[in-house]
Amino acid sequence: MIHRSLALSFALCVVLPSAGRSQVLLTQQEALRLAFPEPATIERQTAFLAEEERATADDLAGPDVEVDQRVVTYYVGMEGSTPLGVAYFDAHRVRTLPEVLMIVVTPDARIDRIEILKFQEPPDYLVPESWLGQFSGRELTEELSVKGAIVNMTGATLTSRAVTYAARRVLALHQVIRPLPEIE
Amino acid sequence: MRSGVWGRLILSVVTALLLLTAPASGQERTVEERLRDLERQVELLTQRLEGADSAAIVEMRLQIEAITREIEELKLGQEVVVQADTAVYGLGPAASKVYRVQQGVSIGGYGEFLFTGFSESRQDGAPSDKNNVVDALRGVVYIGYKFNDRFLFNSEIEVEHASTSKSGSVSLEFAYVDWLFSNPLGGRAGLLLVPMGFLNELHEPPTFMGSTRPETERAIIPSTWRENGLGVFGGTAGFGYRAYVVNGLDATGESGAGGFTAAGLRGGRQKGSKALANDFAGVARVDYVGVLGLLVGTSFYIGNSGQDALTADSTSTINALTMIWDGHAQYRARGLWLRGLFALSTVDDVVAINEVQGFTGDESVGERLIGWYVEGGYDVLHKIRTQHQLLPYVRYEQIDTQNRVPAGFSRSGAADRQILTFGAAWLPIPNLIVKADYQVRKNAADTGVDQFNVSMGYMF
Repeated sequence: MIHRSLALSFALCVVLPSAGRSQVLLTQQEALRLAFPEPATIERQTAFLAEEERATADDLAGPDVEVDQRVVTYYVGMEGSTPLGVAYFDAHRVRTLPEVLMIVVTPDARIDRIEILKFQEPPDYLVPESWLGQFSGRELTEELSVKGAIVNMTGATLTSRAVTYAARRVLALHQVIRPLPEIE
Repeated sequence: MRSGVWGRLILSVVTALLLLTAPASGQERTVEERLRDLERQVELLTQRLEGADSAAIVEMRLQIEAITREIEELKLGQEVVVQADTAVYGLGPAASKVYRVQQGVSIGGYGEFLFTGFSESRQDGAPSDKNNVVDALRGVVYIGYKFNDRFLFNSEIEVEHASTSKSGSVSLEFAYVDWLFSNPLGGRAGLLLVPMGFLNELHEPPTFMGSTRPETERAIIPSTWRENGLGVFGGTAGFGYRAYVVNGLDATGESGAGGFTAAGLRGGRQKGSKALANDFAGVARVDYVGVLGLLVGTSFYIGNSGQDALTADSTSTINALTMIWDGHAQYRARGLWLRGLFALSTVDDVVAINEVQGFTGDESVGERLIGWYVEGGYDVLHKIRTQHQLLPYVRYEQIDTQNRVPAGFSRSGAADRQILTFGAAWLPIPNLIVKADYQVRKNAADTGVDQFNVSMGYMF
């Protein structure tokens, strides 16, 4: 009986770390404001790609990454006349259910940050913010892959891959769309 | 020229909408209605293009803007997209979040097939008398359901050894409901995977080296170990944790589980099936994952395993306090994969357990069980532009499930084992794996039998 109480007490007295992540849900506007805080302005634009342009983006993204959209909406952050970056939103499937990311690209075509807006799979498969941080500064090279510099997240390999593919897809679209010279 | 550009834009929009909406099942009527509307819009816009002036172009811009917003909403989901009124906007706080509940079924799975060829002779040269075996070892389906943003259900249904008409079984490996209280904390209840070691919670074939699981994570951490219970989970600042209360193990086989043996604790699992709940246990785990590629953690289990079983003379009940501790570490980056685990378990009242089970001599349940392994592999195709991975690996393991036995009993040399595994894994894509390895298996009784394993696994 003492042992039984000991076991129960042990479980109930475990000191719990103070914070963690459940399913992350940001609205699009909240995410954009994270990327481009006040007083920056944010301009919504849409690119309509010809089939050849889509195919070019598909090639740039790499053999494992599919680029199938020809209508691409993106958001340009501006401070005065200076572009801060471009935010893209990418929706894709993780296992069965979708994930929505915001991927912000710097004016020199590198990833600035990635935010998870929607994650429908069980939280065990959600990657932590610290893991997403490894994408900062990455450009569209061979290193931007789970076989390259991107470190897989143990227990969330499908999510790791889905995020990496989305990053490649967005950078490939960014190269084809070239949104910032048009602004300037 | 201008009308050609606008025509291309409109067609692109309609094409995208067709692609986006076509797969939606059960919404055919809505999709048809939307398409009819879009067709009407295209017709109208085309007519206007013939005599387009600047005012008409502005109007068409607005209409295309509206259509692209609809595309965006369909792609990202209504709960994510909060509409703005203008193309250029200051983006103040959203007046209200649109938390339209996204319900959904999530399906996944994994499986593995294993061929095992045994050496014809044992360690001491005697015939092994073992038959080679090929087995549809596991077929697993994960089914989850998200009720809303706070509650979700997740489960794993497993068929082992292909058929229940032979040695196979069908089991609910886990089935739980998560309640995401808030960002810091989640609650979990149901049939839970005990959060110890590497493989008990994470055992899809591409997630571990070797055709077979390490013995330490079978005999001391008896994966796949699941019990009914409830607890909390979460993580922050590079740490992840889980802490559960579960029904205790069954040391004497009161529930029909078989009970502990000289080979380890595996027979004590109650698997959630009419589990005796006279004794409960607590288990907790903490992992540090703050450095990319690194995982370092520990877990601890404590609880009685007697389940109110009577001693052989029926004068008292057996407590059989059982404690299991493990420490584990893994580093995985740039093609390199290193992993190590140490597990230690102690069991009280072993004499009473032995008497009830009828164990004598060297058949005793271990009072102390110790096991550890280290393994490493490297993807030799890491630097080559291909999705393929080719991972030679090696694992060394020592396990002794009778590291200490009570006075009056003796240790069996067969329980004190060393296993050297070396082989390679090939992953044509990350979700498929073929492994082949050779195991040199030795024990203190000189009865070890080497084996050759080939496995194929998948997960999705």
